[in-house]
Amino acid sequence: MRLDRRQFIKQSAISSALATAGALFPGISFGDWSRLAQNNSVISWQKSPCRFCGTGCGVLVGVSDGRAVAVKGDPNCSVNKGLCCMKGYHSVQALYGKDRLTKALIRRDGAMVEVPIQEALDLVAQKLQETRDAYGKDSVAMYGSGQWTIPDGYVASKLFKGCLGTNNVEANARLCMSSAVTGFMTSFGLDEPMGCYEDIDHANVFITWGNNMAEMHPVLFSRMLAQRKRRTNVKIIDFATRYSRTSQAADKSIIFRPQTDLAVANAICYEIIKNDWVNWNFVNEHVSFHKGKTNIGYGTEDHFAFTDKAESIDFEDFKTFLEDYTPEKVEKISGVPARDIKYMAALYGDPSVKVTSFWCMGMNQHTRGTWINNLVYNIHLLVGKISMPGNSPFSLTGQPSACGTVREVGTLTHKLPHGVVMNEHDREMAAQIWEVPVENIDPKPSYHTVEMFRALDRGDIKFIWIQVTNPMVTMPNLKRYRDGALKEDRFVVVSDVYPTPTTDIADVILPAAMWVEQEGMYGNSERRTQHFTQIVDPPGEAMSDTWQIIEVARRLGFEKQFSWDQSDYIEKIWEEYRRFHAGPKHEMAPYSVLAERSGVQWPFVDGKETRWRYNPRYDPACSNGKDFDFYGKKDNRAWIWARPYEPAAEFPDSEYNFWLNTGRVIEHWHTGSMTRRVPVLHNAVPSSYVEIHPEDAAELGVVNGEKVKIISRRGEITMPAQINGRGVPVRGMVFVPFFDESYLINEVTLDAFCPISKQPDYKKCAVRLEKA
Amino acid sequence: MMNGQQRHSKSAVCVALLGVTALLLVSENVRAESSVPGNFDNQGAKIFAAQQDTPQVYLDADSGGRTLTDFYSLRQYPGSPPRIPHEVDTSFSGNETNCLSCHRRGGYSSEFDAYAPVTPHPENTLCYQCHASVQSETLFVETGWKSIQPPRLGQSFLSSSPPPVPHSLQLRENCIACHTGPGAVAEIRVSHAARGDCRQCHATVVQSTPISEFERK
Amino acid sequence: MPIFSYLAMPREGAREALCTDLSSLEYCQIIPAENKDVVVLITDTPDEDRERSLQEKLKKLASLQSLSLAFGYDEQN
Repeated sequence: MRLDRRQFIKQSAISSALATAGALFPGISFGDWSRLAQNNSVISWQKSPCRFCGTGCGVLVGVSDGRAVAVKGDPNCSVNKGLCCMKGYHSVQALYGKDRLTKALIRRDGAMVEVPIQEALDLVAQKLQETRDAYGKDSVAMYGSGQWTIPDGYVASKLFKGCLGTNNVEANARLCMSSAVTGFMTSFGLDEPMGCYEDIDHANVFITWGNNMAEMHPVLFSRMLAQRKRRTNVKIIDFATRYSRTSQAADKSIIFRPQTDLAVANAICYEIIKNDWVNWNFVNEHVSFHKGKTNIGYGTEDHFAFTDKAESIDFEDFKTFLEDYTPEKVEKISGVPARDIKYMAALYGDPSVKVTSFWCMGMNQHTRGTWINNLVYNIHLLVGKISMPGNSPFSLTGQPSACGTVREVGTLTHKLPHGVVMNEHDREMAAQIWEVPVENIDPKPSYHTVEMFRALDRGDIKFIWIQVTNPMVTMPNLKRYRDGALKEDRFVVVSDVYPTPTTDIADVILPAAMWVEQEGMYGNSERRTQHFTQIVDPPGEAMSDTWQIIEVARRLGFEKQFSWDQSDYIEKIWEEYRRFHAGPKHEMAPYSVLAERSGVQWPFVDGKETRWRYNPRYDPACSNGKDFDFYGKKDNRAWIWARPYEPAAEFPDSEYNFWLNTGRVIEHWHTGSMTRRVPVLHNAVPSSYVEIHPEDAAELGVVNGEKVKIISRRGEITMPAQINGRGVPVRGMVFVPFFDESYLINEVTLDAFCPISKQPDYKKCAVRLEKA
Repeated sequence: MMNGQQRHSKSAVCVALLGVTALLLVSENVRAESSVPGNFDNQGAKIFAAQQDTPQVYLDADSGGRTLTDFYSLRQYPGSPPRIPHEVDTSFSGNETNCLSCHRRGGYSSEFDAYAPVTPHPENTLCYQCHASVQSETLFVETGWKSIQPPRLGQSFLSSSPPPVPHSLQLRENCIACHTGPGAVAEIRVSHAARGDCRQCHATVVQSTPISEFERK
Repeated sequence: MPIFSYLAMPREGAREALCTDLSSLEYCQIIPAENKDVVVLITDTPDEDRERSLQEKLKKLASLQSLSLAFGYDEQN
């Protein structure tokens, strides 16, 4: 193995030297050698989506002697056209960390001991069965991930919802995009963006709403920069609460106070109406107006429940509602100068300018996440800038298959692969495809993610199986949930690829196959399903998450529902799953097409991908004969919502006088369990830090690298200060990247969430600082 | 190292460059005052500005043939300010911005029959503060000075992966200045600067300590 | 276990001599250009000590005018 790797490196050394010689001496020839070097027999290339973010870049994985050794951008993939970011280029190194989990471990007398994986799976099935018998069907739970492959999520849902009859299936995507989902559902009745990345090639103005794309969706961001370079009429406006790499690159940076994006969005609508920039043809034909409940709470207490109620209003009501949001009034709330609000409104309002809005966690991790999603759609709907090339409200996703596995397969408590558990027809469809009695499927949703971990703490849930995610780093108000998981009679199963703070609390650890060590599919932000084959073998006894679930399902007596053969189970699962989405609104490409192409967009109808939904020029599901058809809602209209500004769940006061904002850096993916094992990424950002405004740091008396204690009502953490580093928060705010398990910033954060989407707000809580 | 072919391609670039200089000055004046702090993230704003301001033809241009050997021969250690390798007209003294007339933008100089390298820090206008001229080649006494090896090329972790940034970014924040255009050193020139965000792919591993691997504590 | 590749330039008229010199050294592999006075040199030494001694030998070659590094790899053991 080692020898072959050396040969490969030597080959690279030769190629580099030949390339350098070629650059220095045009026309230089090395006879047969150049040909040999180009026709490199050492390596073969196979396509896959990137393992990391929701952009879904196509990569080519280079394989030599059974090991992944290199990565190239896939030139056939329209997402990235051959370019990656540093995470993608080094992604295969994440397969080969020295502490990779290769054997199953079970807890015996407090210590973890290695056992054959089949024995561990026996124990998982036995514990699940015992818990269910003793405490009822809702005492067991599955917590998965937007990094689950589509088959992973599908079999999890089938086992828990279809066979075991509990809706205790959630995924970490609840923490990253459920506000995007409820935003889409309330405004359009169907989930996922109407546009696609090609919007970038057509838009004149990009507005990033609390979205540091330069670091979080870098490949899309450099596509924007290349467009701005190529065309002279392109502008980037960064609308944010903190100065980031995106602000550096933007033509204009506008800073707002946390939570006040709600007010600014309403002020933009106010201006559009006041200046009569409304696209009346569009609004009269395709829009209806609504309002919902207000003062809706923050979900910080156990058993919190909320159901919104839509009421129809008319345009005049909406206009009256907006009178509280004149730019001058909103300037006082938001700190955004009225002229900047008018400037943004004018960009949206100018009929000659195509506007694409991008957002991700800034709007989704928000105690009014559903509302702010609605409000940005309001702006696009008022001016009719939607569902056509370049005019696009674009909700980006964070994880490689948050769309594919969580939103489309529906691995959330209320969802089914098609529709929701509350709907009788949807339950019947699922029961029929799954070959289970329809009574099996519980019509009542159970626990969303935060409430699921609260239930584990309370003891309502006693068995939880966690796959492909690291909640013991990512749960807000972390201490409560870690203490809860560690309680005496809780049983925690964790499937993962490396040891993490979550495997630390496990009673069983199952070694998982990672990414291209298995066959699977992801679904990216622009409705693109991306298939990958098994390119290398998993190490040791590591097993795909799908197959782990199948093994347990069979032990529980569901052989009939999980009868697939290991040689072609992914294909069979895909074809079964595809039946849920039959029809022009969501038709998925058949397996044979997915296997061939570098990603296929749905709806995939008559062999054609749908790039812009709701627009009959592109979307075959449109049937009303008009220029747009918003067929997701019963009234065939997109809904504008009157949603007010309401303050954050917690905000700075005299005692806790700073905002705490958390997020990522370009180098690290989520909790760093993979990227920290990639040398170049770890070396670039080896540990976390707290960004402080230089003047706040001076007042506190700390210089770069000195320790600061961050204290909230939940907990405290001491970490090094970073001043004028990667980003600069405004005065009165600190920012902490959450990737570092040595600095668990979520001990400090608050578990308040959007009452509609149940997504926690990781961007806002109150802390105070001390020099440590 | 020069050969006929290289000279030929050089003159083609030169013609194209003349036309864009005027445009360039205009676009810079138009850019609005920004509220974004200038001095964070290794002053990365300079890269984005350079990507916008540098004409495409310049970003794509082939190298004029300067090599790394030439580059390091003017430096006492990697990162030291290079000496001035050409005669400086005496009339230049007293007007410290004249270096920038060539080195701010680069471009072809018929006087030296070469492309001027672009400075990554044109905001520092007192050039002679750091860059020494060469009046004599003889030494006062022999020196025992020894330097360190310059950073190796090709430090990619995988054959196909972009190499991380191997040098300190202090006074060299703008990647585009040194790594693109006909004045760039051949071995370190890139032709894809139009993508604009260098640090999307090239990690800034700005540290002198040995590379360490992540270990759980 | 360092692996390096270089472009080696011979002194005036010493191309053949350089090829002979380089190929006689242990751990060295060469690819001479057909139409220019340039030789690609790949060195693959088992450890730091032998790498150093090879570098010394290279420096002393009379046929060699200059070496410029194209690729370097050094495994941390």
